[in-house]
Amino acid sequence: MSKLRIVLGLQLLFFTAWGGYLLSSKNSDTPEFYLETTPVDPRDLLSGTYVALRYEITSPKAANCLTLMNSALNLFVKLEDRGKTANTGQGPVKIYEAADCSVKEPYGQGWAKAKIQPAFTGAPTAGYGIEKFFLNEEDPRKDARSGTVLAKVKIDNRRRLVLLDLVKKI
Amino acid sequence: MSYYKKLKTDLKGAAAAGIITPDQADRAWEHAYSARTFASFKAAHWIAAIAGLFISLGIILVAAHNWDKIGEVAKMGAFLVLFTGVAEAVIRLEAKPAAAIPLETLWFFMPALGIGLYAQIFNLSGDPVKPYLVWAALSAPLALLSKRPLAAYLTSILLFAVLYWGTLGSTNMLSLTSGFKHAAQPLWHWALALSVLGAGFALFPGKMNSKPLGAAAIWLFFMLVTDTAIRVRSKALLLLAGMSLAVLWLTWGSGEKENAAAGLPLTVWTGAVYMMTFFWHWKPGSHNSYSGSDTELGAMITWAALAGALITLALRNQRLLPEGKTGDYIAKGLLAASILCAFLLFDASEGSAKILAVIANLILAAFGASCIIGGTSSSDEKLINRGVAVITITAVTRFVDVFGSLLTSGFGFIFTGLAFAALAYFINRGRKALIASVKK
Repeated sequence: MSKLRIVLGLQLLFFTAWGGYLLSSKNSDTPEFYLETTPVDPRDLLSGTYVALRYEITSPKAANCLTLMNSALNLFVKLEDRGKTANTGQGPVKIYEAADCSVKEPYGQGWAKAKIQPAFTGAPTAGYGIEKFFLNEEDPRKDARSGTVLAKVKIDNRRRLVLLDLVKKI
Repeated sequence: MSYYKKLKTDLKGAAAAGIITPDQADRAWEHAYSARTFASFKAAHWIAAIAGLFISLGIILVAAHNWDKIGEVAKMGAFLVLFTGVAEAVIRLEAKPAAAIPLETLWFFMPALGIGLYAQIFNLSGDPVKPYLVWAALSAPLALLSKRPLAAYLTSILLFAVLYWGTLGSTNMLSLTSGFKHAAQPLWHWALALSVLGAGFALFPGKMNSKPLGAAAIWLFFMLVTDTAIRVRSKALLLLAGMSLAVLWLTWGSGEKENAAAGLPLTVWTGAVYMMTFFWHWKPGSHNSYSGSDTELGAMITWAALAGALITLALRNQRLLPEGKTGDYIAKGLLAASILCAFLLFDASEGSAKILAVIANLILAAFGASCIIGGTSSSDEKLINRGVAVITITAVTRFVDVFGSLLTSGFGFIFTGLAFAALAYFINRGRKALIASVKK
């Protein structure tokens, strides 16, 4: 077998393994819930059109979150239903909010992993890897205004948030 | 007229003049014509290629129209099949450059296509630099093992581009600039950045290291200028670092045996000395827009660059002027002076800055004159032109510098224009006379 075929094999193996990992995350047997968003619309060099999303949980204000955001590089943020709801085409849905933060991986469900990003101005923000939603040029959600859409998400078995859909509020 | 038509005419002319025989002319043309791009492509191949293009465009259009209806696994599967097809075509057509080169380019870009596709399917986001580093890591084995240098060039360029973009940014895994009172970036960012730099260097094909060396030197200078852990704020240290790096690049920018033809490093060094001539206008306390103070690490790197440049000048062949005892002395003296005059900026006054500017002008004048003299004695037309260009640009700049403030009327502009026209005329006459004397 030529060396270039081994290279090709390794590249294909990488994409197959990564695809499998992403599929398992998306199809994990964990509950789905909604997050409040603040979208804008830039372009991505590699992947085409997407809506850039900011969330209320991007700047979690719960309990010890503010202190930890200024000192830690990675955080676990507890997301839970605190009674907030929104109306969608499928009826009213519960909006999850940040309830607590922890540097050490906590036991129990509902904790999502976040990476803290320092900001030039203002406070640091928490990134969850769900800050882009890709869609067609013709998709009306491309021009969604701030706060008019909800993100349908779930936390996979590795405590990472997975973005499933973008739903219009009515 | 196409290249092959011109070649045929020239070969016929050479045969008619008795330089080569008609048979040799025919065989030389046949040899050149058979090696042209797509030489082995017959009409049937072209029709097949057009058919393939139409089918591909049709598939792309159908897929684009139904994109949202296609499942995740189908999209990933189609990508893997396409990836395999492209790479397999490269392997099978390795002996046919006309097909293999564009296909290998496509193979290089396939990982980027895959990363973009997966990001789109699964709505991935995160560190903006990570996908490009993964792309480079996936392409590195191809760059190392391919018989052609194409993938190695592309991967090296990708790595250097990511290095500049990432390290000068502030919110990615390569960020080295902290800025705006935020804490310095973690140490592992430096480790990663240096790995990327090393990989970019290692993958650059061939022995010609001038380009990656230059890219590395300029990157290091940027890291000293910007708000990083090796930040330098003192004007003297910055100038010392910049000139030392310029001299290091010029001296190490290619093999030991190559001399004067230094190209870009020489232009950069000349440009840096030219910029130093503007210290004539410098005043203490001006240009203090950057915050912070010198870092110990930055100062150490600057002194190390200075020591490296001076040792290099002492031990290695210079590449400023043609080799020769006098030329070597002059060139090494000019290079050393261009670095050492930065010391005038320590606790600088307006007077010492003016001395620095005068020295820079003298370095340029001496360099220009040495080029003209060296070019005349070694019959090097290019060297003469370089010398004339350096002296002319310096003279014109100084003229504008000194008399620029007097250009307040239309007559002033007309007089200056006429003076420049006369200068251009006489310089060109002198240049042509020098070149003519060399050719005799």
